[in-house]
Amino acid sequence: MQRREFLKGSAFLGSLACINPVLSANAFTKGDKKSVFSVCEMCSTRCPIEISVKDNKGVFINGNPKFSTNKTSVCARGGAGINQLYDKNRLIKPLIRVGKRGENKWREASWDEALNLVATKLNEIKEKHGASSVIFTSKAGESHTHMSNFACAYGSPNIFSHYSSCPITYNMVLEHTYGGGLSRDFANAKYIVNFGHNLFEGIVISDAKKLAKFAAASDTKLLVLEPRFSVVAAKADEWLPIKPGTDVAFLMALIHIWLRDEKYDKEFVNEYCIGLDELKASVKDTSPKWQESITGISADTIERIADEIYKAAPKVVIDWGHKTTTTYAEYQRTRAIAIANALMGNYEKKGGIHTSKNTNTLNKIIGEDIFPTLDNPSNVFKVPNTPRIDGAGEVGNKNYFVSRKHGVLMDIAPAILSKKPYPIKAWVNTRFNHLVNVANVNESLKAINELDFIVSIDIYLNDFSNLADVVLPESSYLERDESIATIGNGYYMRNKAVEVIGDTKSGFDIFRKLASMMKIDELYTYTTIDEYRMQQAKGNVDLLANLKKDGIVTYKVPSLYLREPKTIKEFAKTYPQIKDKIDSNGELSSLINFKTPSKKIELFIEKVENLFPTHGCLNTTDYDVFKNHEFCLTSGKTPIHTNAHTQNIPILNELMSESPVWINETKAKELGFKDGDLVYLENEFGKIQVKLMLTQGIRPDTLFIYHGFGRNTPALKNIHEIGANDSIVLGSRSGYVCSTMVTNIGVDIKRA
Amino acid sequence: MKKFVMIHDENLCIGCEACSVACKNENQIPSGVFRVQVHAKMKGVFPNLQTDFTRASCVMCEDSPCVSVCPTGASFKLANGITLIDENLCVSCKYCILACPYNARFLNPITKAIDKCTFCYPNRVSDGLTPACVSVCPTDALIFGDINDNNSEVNKVLASKSVEYPKAHLGTKPKLGFIKNTKGGRYE
Ligand code: SF4
Ligand code: SF4
Ligand code: SF4
Ligand code: SF4
Repeated sequence: MQRREFLKGSAFLGSLACINPVLSANAFTKGDKKSVFSVCEMCSTRCPIEISVKDNKGVFINGNPKFSTNKTSVCARGGAGINQLYDKNRLIKPLIRVGKRGENKWREASWDEALNLVATKLNEIKEKHGASSVIFTSKAGESHTHMSNFACAYGSPNIFSHYSSCPITYNMVLEHTYGGGLSRDFANAKYIVNFGHNLFEGIVISDAKKLAKFAAASDTKLLVLEPRFSVVAAKADEWLPIKPGTDVAFLMALIHIWLRDEKYDKEFVNEYCIGLDELKASVKDTSPKWQESITGISADTIERIADEIYKAAPKVVIDWGHKTTTTYAEYQRTRAIAIANALMGNYEKKGGIHTSKNTNTLNKIIGEDIFPTLDNPSNVFKVPNTPRIDGAGEVGNKNYFVSRKHGVLMDIAPAILSKKPYPIKAWVNTRFNHLVNVANVNESLKAINELDFIVSIDIYLNDFSNLADVVLPESSYLERDESIATIGNGYYMRNKAVEVIGDTKSGFDIFRKLASMMKIDELYTYTTIDEYRMQQAKGNVDLLANLKKDGIVTYKVPSLYLREPKTIKEFAKTYPQIKDKIDSNGELSSLINFKTPSKKIELFIEKVENLFPTHGCLNTTDYDVFKNHEFCLTSGKTPIHTNAHTQNIPILNELMSESPVWINETKAKELGFKDGDLVYLENEFGKIQVKLMLTQGIRPDTLFIYHGFGRNTPALKNIHEIGANDSIVLGSRSGYVCSTMVTNIGVDIKRA
Repeated sequence: MKKFVMIHDENLCIGCEACSVACKNENQIPSGVFRVQVHAKMKGVFPNLQTDFTRASCVMCEDSPCVSVCPTGASFKLANGITLIDENLCVSCKYCILACPYNARFLNPITKAIDKCTFCYPNRVSDGLTPACVSVCPTDALIFGDINDNNSEVNKVLASKSVEYPKAHLGTKPKLGFIKNTKGGRYE
């Protein structure tokens, strides 16, 4: 007992000193202990979390147990939120550039001075060159909302998010094909086809948990097609090391087989789809034999797989993934996936794909306002109806289908350099590292040097911020309150866990304050985040109070699939209001509606065909990612780091401090390379120096790098000039129709 | 009497190191050293490959060599099966580091005492919580509980799955077991 008592005290003897002696004083003295329930921001997933706080020090993070999907889980990055909070490399004072651009000479400034400078400059530029001459970039989520509101108030249509560098394709494809976003029912599926959606390294906890259990179960099949033996491939029942860029050919052959043998859900397709004839024509020649030389997968194998999937349907998920950025033909690849799902008739089936049943939808289904709903105070802000530099949303432009709130990042630098359609003078950025996350870094650097004024809001002095004139330090997510967001059939909210360290502000406050200083805040109906939240909640103080206390509010609702009679029957027990909507076969077909022009699932898309001839139906135009180079460089995520954001955080850096390039061992030895050799990867866009890691876990023609290293900002001490920035060798030309960035690229290896 | 057991399901484990980060933060483990890490090891020749994820930490031996060699009695066992170190008595002679066949012990550069996994007994488990690593694991690959409780999750797992013990031949009778990886290879 004595020993136990002793241990209880001394177990805390080690201190945060190793992380930051200044910020962590008194972390573990006995005293006030509480839990704050909030939302993680170490990646874009936004998992609900619980933060243990002692004497206003965040000490430990786990998942919010009230969120039954994740329970107490967090990933390594999520757990390291505490270490980011106390990272001594964080920015805690506004900075104003004093040396030449990029020289890394700064002076600290007060918020008044820094914001005044930003306001004056932006006003000046607007007066001389018009508001459109300022561009705005942001990462996803709340930063984007508040930045967009400001940009709209200021009058610039040039608003960009990270969309085009990652999820734009699947979002656009699902909208074009099904009329909106869909969820994958990993938990109940029997067969999952995965095209390198590496949920075990690019972790989204809720999905990773379901997929891990799916993969470990004995009566399910996980098929993974990927050039690399990734963690998801390592967990597969079958792994096919497909040649990079050729998924589209595999999928078209798969569809060819199903249509050839009439092995698809005819009833479903007849009732809910249009464009079968056009589809048939487009896959007429894409036989199993045809794909063999393209993908490297034998005709026999694909025949067997087509049959397996068909037999498992509708408990089948053909996964469209998240980082949909592989080739110029990405739109076609993802379209083929969307179509394959439709043919299997897995829509609104348990174990298939389905629409999300959030509170709004549930109210509609039930036909009564049972669950509280939210207002969106940001709705009043509209993107100005003036031409954008990337032409997004404009007829005749390659970016016609791209949202004017998200834009095409790769088009920024060419527009600045060519001064077309008009000159750009300034760039306002929040929490986005354009120089690591966007293709063609050399071009971006040239473009940035043309600008008169750059503002960057960040929590670190990142590569992009390092080139700014003014850097505004944002509070980390553990130090700020945010608005209410939807999760499943409920709501959750980011709550401040500790007092602000140093002199930082929330992104909300920064943009709101700037708007009022510049007197462009007529449209703002709120001044504080609390007012914003209250407007969202429509005065529902109970909802707000619960969100403050528990971080999350969800409602117990039986799960419902509109084509799954059993679930509908269960649902009707709790909500008898739906009874007269149920069809004689037990389905809820009257509630199935596709918000496409034809009101059906579009296997052929007329509106795309009209503007982009041949792209309305499947094709294989420009899928080749090698383009006459010997290797294709691919990239992906690690569970230790988030894109270009977390590499400097000590605890994560210790677990992964560099990112060598994977190369097939046998191939490397043939070429005379050893493990750890330094080489150049080179192509027409640039050249990077990398260290090779010899492994059997990759195709001989493919290279792989974990994205996010290769920083040139001296302030990021742990990672300065370590590893390579793969975006340097990516070209800024984007994929057809969806304008996605292309991340699989041909390179050659030269000895360094 | 409670007897604590931990099981690492290598089929569920994805090597994400969330356990390692949680352990370091919960137990204030300084940089450079770890109470737990998960090692991923790929073997085979392309395309016939397998990746195993193994947990490296103290395995809580029933017959623990680290305790037998400790000259000061700083290393000791609780009746519930957990091996601990009394920092006040530890003279950092490192005999235990040499004696431990699992390479689980290290010198804590801050406390200057020998350190290792405690199953989070002092700071969490004795208060009825689960160990930090178990709590955060994204895929629920870690199962922890009382083997003397018939309804515990560990007992269910022990009853339904084949659980092995690392270096069982040494006869140290670990209380950290694992479910062996069965995934890998290529079917075509
Ligand atoms: S996946 Fe990890 S980093 Fe991302 S939000 Fe969830 S816990 Fe945080
Ligand atoms: S947290 Fe879980 S899945 Fe991740 S490495 Fe640890 S045991 Fe494995
Ligand atoms: S694993 Fe090593 S440290 Fe742990 S009880 Fe066994 S001998 Fe001791
Ligand atoms: S049980 Fe506790 S001390 Fe042991 S590895 Fe897990 S978190 Fe660390």
